[in-house]
Amino acid sequence: MKFVLIDHIVEKSPERIVALKQVSLAEEYLTDHFPSFPILPGVLMLEAMVQAARAMIGSQTPLVLGEVKALKYGNMVRPGEALELEVTLHKRHDDGSFACKGCGRVRRTNQAAPTDDVAVSGRFTLRPIRT
Amino acid sequence: MRWMWIDQIVEHVPGRRLCAVKNVSLSEEHMHDHLGSEVGGPVMPASLMIEGMAQTAGILVGSINRFKEKVILAKIVSARFDKDVFPGQTIRYEAEIERTEAAGASTRGIVKRMSQAGERAGAWEEIGAVELMFSHLDKNMAGLEFPEENFVFSDNFRMILRAAGMGDLAQ
Amino acid sequence: MPDASPISRDQTFESIRQVLEEALGADAEDITPEATLTGDLEAESIDFLDIVFRLEKKFSTPTKPFKISQGELFPENLMENPAWVSNAKFTDEGMAMLKQRMPHVDFSKFENDRDVNKVGELITVKSLVDFVERKLKS
Repeated sequence: MKFVLIDHIVEKSPERIVALKQVSLAEEYLTDHFPSFPILPGVLMLEAMVQAARAMIGSQTPLVLGEVKALKYGNMVRPGEALELEVTLHKRHDDGSFACKGCGRVRRTNQAAPTDDVAVSGRFTLRPIRT
Repeated sequence: MRWMWIDQIVEHVPGRRLCAVKNVSLSEEHMHDHLGSEVGGPVMPASLMIEGMAQTAGILVGSINRFKEKVILAKIVSARFDKDVFPGQTIRYEAEIERTEAAGASTRGIVKRMSQAGERAGAWEEIGAVELMFSHLDKNMAGLEFPEENFVFSDNFRMILRAAGMGDLAQ
Repeated sequence: MPDASPISRDQTFESIRQVLEEALGADAEDITPEATLTGDLEAESIDFLDIVFRLEKKFSTPTKPFKISQGELFPENLMENPAWVSNAKFTDEGMAMLKQRMPHVDFSKFENDRDVNKVGELITVKSLVDFVERKLKS
């Protein structure tokens, strides 16, 4: 499996990005999450938002997830469905970190637009790697 | 990629505290994509460290009621990582119960790392903290259909519980 | 040792504002007295639990613990009593129960609606301030 959680970028600007992650039964980790009830793990929704934010920011310095605040989970995303994420840049800090806000809605099978079902929403910060 | 983000339970005070460790290895698939030019070298993704804490805290919370209820991660209240983790290091998740109610539970936890080689080998350093809230699925999602049995347990999960002497809880 | 002098309404509001900022990741300027928790601040049931835990922690003192029972602050488990709810709407008895149990919420505009699923939307930041003040005085 590849740790790439963004399948398609729908829209992109320096302060806002809309991207899509499709969920497929072919993804191995689903056999464990959960046995007989496959759903996209919440932290992979977060990782998808992080990867979308990285694409939005387009920084030369590699950025990693440093902080998360008030990130809650709602609707589930099942195989055959997709997660449509919207990430916005909230604030650029002097220390090189980027505070972002993200929200993910469920797109049902074969639909070209998201439903109002919110799967994930919250805040997170990207920052340079710290050894 | 298996969905198992802890390797061993190393401490358990029922209803209070649970500690687990996870080795970070270059042989893990995800490390190679968290290596590309956008990231600058293999670094353990923080999202997967949050999952490691969620699995640690989830076992702590779930074991209170012998896993009769399905416990699911509902909210990352806060997570902060002041340093990153690299291949060859070991992560230690220390979770404690903060509150439990019928509707759900909140936990707090500390994340530590240790190097197996080099100057700081063998010394644990604190690198972050994670606060989570879990929902008791059965109570909060009436109307949705779930399989009868407690579906969260994969074979690896059961094995980890058995190795820690908690196998009887996951029948 | 005597209890600390009673806190002002402004201080209560400020403490609640901090709680909501932390629990909901909301911006300070969005947390106005009229802001609704589920509408304007997008709170959901897991947030209600988080808010209850935090309020208990924030307003407890060594001499006087601040404990909120289930259903005291947010309307929970109300559908269980058939005398209160019929066809997903609150009955007269149900409305009387709501007003009695939750004096911190303004039900005047809800009289015509009575939809069980919408009752959560009535709770504003002001409702929380009223609730805490009332409880601290008792």
